[in-house]
Amino acid sequence: MPCEEVTYMKQRLELKVNGQTYEVLVDPWQSLADVLREELGFTGVKVSCNSGNCGSCTVLLDGKAVKSCIMFAPLAKGKEILTIEGLATESGLHPLQEAFIEHFAVQCGYCTPGMILMAKALLDENLDATEDEIREGLVGNLCRCTGYVKIVEAIMAAKEKMKVTSSH
Amino acid sequence: MAGHSVVGKSIIRLDALDKVTGKAKYCEDLKLPGMLYGKVLRSPYPHAHITSIDTSRAENISGVRAVITGRDVPEKRYGPSVFDQHTLARRVVRYVGDPVAAVAADSVEVAERALGLLKVEYEKLPAIFDIEEAWEKNPPVIVHRDLPKYELGKFPPLRLVPDRPNVCHLRMLRHGDVERGFKEADLIVENKFTTTRIQHCPFEPHGSIAQAESDGSLTIWAGRQSIFLARQYLCKLFDLLPSQVRVIASHYIGGGFGSKVTLYTEPIGVMLSMKTGRPVKLTFSREEMFSSGGTRIPFVIRIRDGVKKDGTLVARDMEMLLGMGAYAGSGPLITRNCIYGAVATYRIPNAKIDAYAVYTNEPPVTSFRGFGSSQVLWAIESQMDVIAEELGLDAVELRRKNLLEEGDTNITGEIVHSIGIRECLDKVAESLEGSPKSKMEGGPWRRGKGLALGNKYSMAPTAAVAIVKVKGDGTIEVHESADEIGQGCHTVLAQIAAEEFGVSVDEVKMVWGDTAFTPYFSRGSTSQRTTFNVGNAIRLACQDAKRQIFEIAAEKVHAQIQDMDIKDGAIYVRSDPSQRISVTELFTSERALSPGEFGDYVEPSAEILGKGVWVTRPAPSDPETAQIPENVARMGGRLAGFFGYGVQGVEVLVNIETGEVKVEKVVAASDVGYPLNPKMCEQQIEGGVAMGIGSALWEEVALDKGKVVNPNFGNYKIVTSINMPKIENVKVFLVSAPHKEGPYGAKGTGETQMTPTAPAVANAIYNAVGVRIKDLPITRERVFRVLREKAGG
Repeated sequence: MPCEEVTYMKQRLELKVNGQTYEVLVDPWQSLADVLREELGFTGVKVSCNSGNCGSCTVLLDGKAVKSCIMFAPLAKGKEILTIEGLATESGLHPLQEAFIEHFAVQCGYCTPGMILMAKALLDENLDATEDEIREGLVGNLCRCTGYVKIVEAIMAAKEKMKVTSSH
Repeated sequence: MAGHSVVGKSIIRLDALDKVTGKAKYCEDLKLPGMLYGKVLRSPYPHAHITSIDTSRAENISGVRAVITGRDVPEKRYGPSVFDQHTLARRVVRYVGDPVAAVAADSVEVAERALGLLKVEYEKLPAIFDIEEAWEKNPPVIVHRDLPKYELGKFPPLRLVPDRPNVCHLRMLRHGDVERGFKEADLIVENKFTTTRIQHCPFEPHGSIAQAESDGSLTIWAGRQSIFLARQYLCKLFDLLPSQVRVIASHYIGGGFGSKVTLYTEPIGVMLSMKTGRPVKLTFSREEMFSSGGTRIPFVIRIRDGVKKDGTLVARDMEMLLGMGAYAGSGPLITRNCIYGAVATYRIPNAKIDAYAVYTNEPPVTSFRGFGSSQVLWAIESQMDVIAEELGLDAVELRRKNLLEEGDTNITGEIVHSIGIRECLDKVAESLEGSPKSKMEGGPWRRGKGLALGNKYSMAPTAAVAIVKVKGDGTIEVHESADEIGQGCHTVLAQIAAEEFGVSVDEVKMVWGDTAFTPYFSRGSTSQRTTFNVGNAIRLACQDAKRQIFEIAAEKVHAQIQDMDIKDGAIYVRSDPSQRISVTELFTSERALSPGEFGDYVEPSAEILGKGVWVTRPAPSDPETAQIPENVARMGGRLAGFFGYGVQGVEVLVNIETGEVKVEKVVAASDVGYPLNPKMCEQQIEGGVAMGIGSALWEEVALDKGKVVNPNFGNYKIVTSINMPKIENVKVFLVSAPHKEGPYGAKGTGETQMTPTAPAVANAIYNAVGVRIKDLPITRERVFRVLREKAGG
């Protein structure tokens, strides 16, 4: 039987999201996804399964992909959080964003932010990733609309663009 | 098609930029001032009486604003066809997940805590889960004792079967004389096939925000398919007029696949909002999606075919039981329409089909991409390979021999039009030809290939209206009510408007669905009807607007209206294009407006309004036989809006030691009428193939005494990136058999695509290892078991 009155203290938490610092009051059990979406308005962070199985909520923490729906928000303290809203820069869209548009890798769009961020983590780690390695890397990011064909195509194309940029 | 500048081209999706930058807003992203969060308490039993509910402890929690139970909801039942469901169970629960009570609170967390404090006492009742047992004449359990007294909807007209008390609809087709057909047959093949429950898994779960307004009207923001159907259902449930219910499409919708047609969250949200006066957001958890968000209908299919030695089909008899679960939802309509899957592909002189909608105490089903055709084709296309094998014929040749052609009469009496299936079959067969039918691979792996034919109608009647506004700045603003569920409807519809005006899609602005502002679209983006119906309405609306523009322009350039055309924002005379005037110039007054004077100019802030109405009407057919009268058919009377066709071939690897199956290659050809946006057609095909592979090999909402035991992606496996063949092994062909009424010949294509996948996989497995699996999904356990039996026997 759950107890009727739960007493707890909200915690003051400083989060660095897309290069800016935010101060929020959070419940100790709140997930990072919940805080990003509901407290800070980063609704590009999508929650679909809320159990760490689908990857829609993927964000980058110091460049590493995490599933923000199963991570307590306080654990992100002191880390650089990147959400989809922070991926484009003043000079334009990220090559992955461009490639997802040009290669028709987007349908309903609910998995897209997590998919793009996962792909970024993969390519930042290994710009020579093969199709098989990309597929292995995306296995925790599910998509119900596309069959992954155009997603993988887009990532392969973005990879080539990113290689050119990184060699300059 | 020649001469088109915008349609027929893979224009970049208008929604892509919003979606890759995180700016796209979905229902789940919306927040209204004062908004509360709703949560639902659900039955833990498959069948029980509710003896008492104590809400007092939940009501006393700080932050809880309302608790409602069956006592608070309308006595009236609702449903799309059988009015069999209360908003919250009043006395009886009929499945594990049946809504019993609901809470509105300041936060989701408080609402969930309150649910834990609701005390409900039940008296358990015997439950029934087996579809065939439930269908029997004296079933041990009757799910809806009062079914004969329930109100029945008008679409479709329902036929109860008095001595089968769990049947809520029987659909019959009679064509020719099936017994005579079997007498003429050289071979009779009979088999039983089954399909299981699968969930749509749209990535955005069901959700809505409901606001009960102070004047008694309702405003709903909904992430759903068909805002007008929602309005119709809510009016019926709450005794309101259409003008009193406003349903607003919450911009983007995170996938549908048929699941978002039914009311799931809206009625409970409305009740909570009525009680609190505040907007209430109600969103399903992923677990609720599996237990209470609707699944595809499980079918039990007995199919008996009579064939001549040369492979000519002479008779087909099908008996199908469709498990509705506890509430019928759109199940009776699927029971009516699923037979069309058996209608569209083959020439059959004698046919008989009976399809029964059967209640059980399992979770309710709903419409699912394919709307019954996938399940029917699972049986038919598996059976075609069985027949070919028994006759010693090639499976492709057997199909070719029996294919319907343009102008043929199908088993409903309809005269076939726009059928590109032969070309699809040729393309797939040719593409698969290089690989052997079966082959040993390394170690325990065996390779095999197989194919299957698919089809999917688009339902009629359908009514679609579009308004096109030409603005003073030259912008073409299109108002329509299609649902952007991920299929990209607004891009294709914008292409149509752009084509009509000779401009680029950048000049076209699409306005989102809102029943208060955008025009009627009877059943919304369901039954792959949007491109065909809304597309036509937009063409008509554009033509109406252009007629008005030409009238004004003709006077200005002193030309005849019929000589005028429009391109790139300018109206010109066809015979002398130097005589021209820009659209914006039409909006410039040449002289002061005197009262009541209109005609040769419009003011700069005005707009020219075009309207288009498109209605697709079905022919009347005999309720006892599903036959369209011959004279009606000759006059063009039709069963449905159109049929889309698709053929798919796959190559699989089967592990004879473990039963594991890998899909190595897919070839898919689809008759889309005319590809308005080829890349977006490919999107539908690839996505349909993926969903089809999942349904073939893994997907099953597993139930234990009516309770879902795998309600999340951890153990309900959808296709992942490593389950799909590599890019170079997915081949897609677009085939065009133009439809005389389709916009530029186009037909819808979203649903057709998964109809052939599962039987193609099963046929490939048979060709690889010689075992025929007749039940979906073809799990490795099933393959392993049948392989063992084969080896042992």
